[in-house]
Amino acid sequence: MFDYLNFNLLAQLFINGILFGTMYGLAAIGLSLIFGTMRIIFLSQGAVIILMAYFCYWLFTLFKIDPYLSIPIIGLAAVVLGAGLYQGLFRRAVKMEDKNITLLIAVGLMFLLENLMAVMWTPNPRSISTGYTSSSIPVGGLAISFTRLIGFVMAMLSTAGVTIFLKRTLVGKAVRAASEDIEAARLVGISPHWVNTIAFAIGIGLCGIAGIALSTTYPFDPYFGFIFSLKAMIALALGGLGSVFGALLGGIILGTLESWSSFFISGGWADAVGYGAFLLVLLFKPEGILVRSVKKV
Amino acid sequence: MEKRLLEIKDLHVSYGTVQALWGVSLHVPEGSIVALVGANGAGKSTLLKTVSGMNRPQKGNILFCGKDLTGLDPEEVVNAGIALVPEGRRLFARLTVKENLELGAYTPRARPFVQESMRQVYELFPLLQTRSKQISGSLSGGEQQMLAIARSMMSKPTILMLDEPSLGLSPLIVKMMFELVEELNRKGMTILLVEQNIFQALKISHYAYVIKTGKIVLEGPGEELLSDPEVQNAYLGALE
Repeated sequence: MFDYLNFNLLAQLFINGILFGTMYGLAAIGLSLIFGTMRIIFLSQGAVIILMAYFCYWLFTLFKIDPYLSIPIIGLAAVVLGAGLYQGLFRRAVKMEDKNITLLIAVGLMFLLENLMAVMWTPNPRSISTGYTSSSIPVGGLAISFTRLIGFVMAMLSTAGVTIFLKRTLVGKAVRAASEDIEAARLVGISPHWVNTIAFAIGIGLCGIAGIALSTTYPFDPYFGFIFSLKAMIALALGGLGSVFGALLGGIILGTLESWSSFFISGGWADAVGYGAFLLVLLFKPEGILVRSVKKV
Repeated sequence: MEKRLLEIKDLHVSYGTVQALWGVSLHVPEGSIVALVGANGAGKSTLLKTVSGMNRPQKGNILFCGKDLTGLDPEEVVNAGIALVPEGRRLFARLTVKENLELGAYTPRARPFVQESMRQVYELFPLLQTRSKQISGSLSGGEQQMLAIARSMMSKPTILMLDEPSLGLSPLIVKMMFELVEELNRKGMTILLVEQNIFQALKISHYAYVIKTGKIVLEGPGEELLSDPEVQNAYLGALE
């Protein structure tokens, strides 16, 4: 009964999984940065991605700006939005002992954004259709969707950019230090508000990239964001907290799992397999499958 | 005439409903080693944390070079020239030795001098230079303590506060650590040392305070306290 299986089909599923998974990965990197520095579970991450997708849609339909040309505009807007979200919503709450408050703010923000988007753009799915939307690049008998490939490249480049920023710049090092030990970071003179603002700006900036990638490849509606946040969290659990490339890889693994399971079992099972993997990882290797276990001294 | 670099006046600190310090007053003259000794839970660390801005006092003042530092944030205190080497070292374990040192000079006060400070610190701790690319979590306990001290030296402090630098180290390394504190002091660093290793701390300090359940119960030159019968009975009993 499996005679329809061949290498090409498997490879095609694999590639689709990877390309979609990078979007989970981008969301996961943002979550990881925000959680790392502030211990905030930023559940509205997905809703912000959808908001950015609508922004891209708007620029395209109202001003005829090509989605890829809107990268700098949306990227900048997302970074500013991120800094603003921290200063406006989380600056006070992050100092409080009770972490539920930040979680509640994040959930509230998610509902607010979802309904705002539903009012502004109706709950009907939207998509961007350009001249190249349906074009694909043939590679060794496989057809790779052009927009998904660009989405993948954008994800890789921004992940590399964030990694270099965190490893090479003093501010980036300060963000890493603060994620490890905020008190020790303050003792060397790092202002928590400054690193928190940076972490939020980068995290939401990545939402901008993910939003563009999403809007050019899939139809989206205002309520798609919550699922996206959950998937990003699974990706994070797979990849392990604290590693930028780990988060991206976690996303890619999840995307591949979903792509295969929706083909081999059925579309409805894709989510079940994803959450199943999440549970298994939490049960047996809660630090993440890609993290080498280190005992804390 | 000695100059009072750091002066603490009638400091009261509570954690919630539990009061940890009851009107502590002490001062650190410029260029000296002052030790604050006492048993576990006496309030030694609380005092250092309050000076560095991690705790807020209910009452009292912290004066540094005559300026009131009470109520400043930790990042402002370190920028003013007071560095704390916290208990348990608190290194950024996943960052390299060099990155830890770089971040030590994060304050506006120290950042312009980062290269120069790095050279001085490497001169003082040649071992850290050979390990500069290593992840700091992989260093041994003694090396980590050295790095913690080196990191705080990077902030170009006027006064260095050390919270239990000998904690968890082997006797040989402990000895080295106290020699290091003396050497730093000879080079002109003012030091406020908190220790449970009372004998060693009293031996190297110019002046010392004994703290008990949040109050200063005894003070005097280090050597004098060493021979004080009360101190010997309460804290140094095992030595004779």
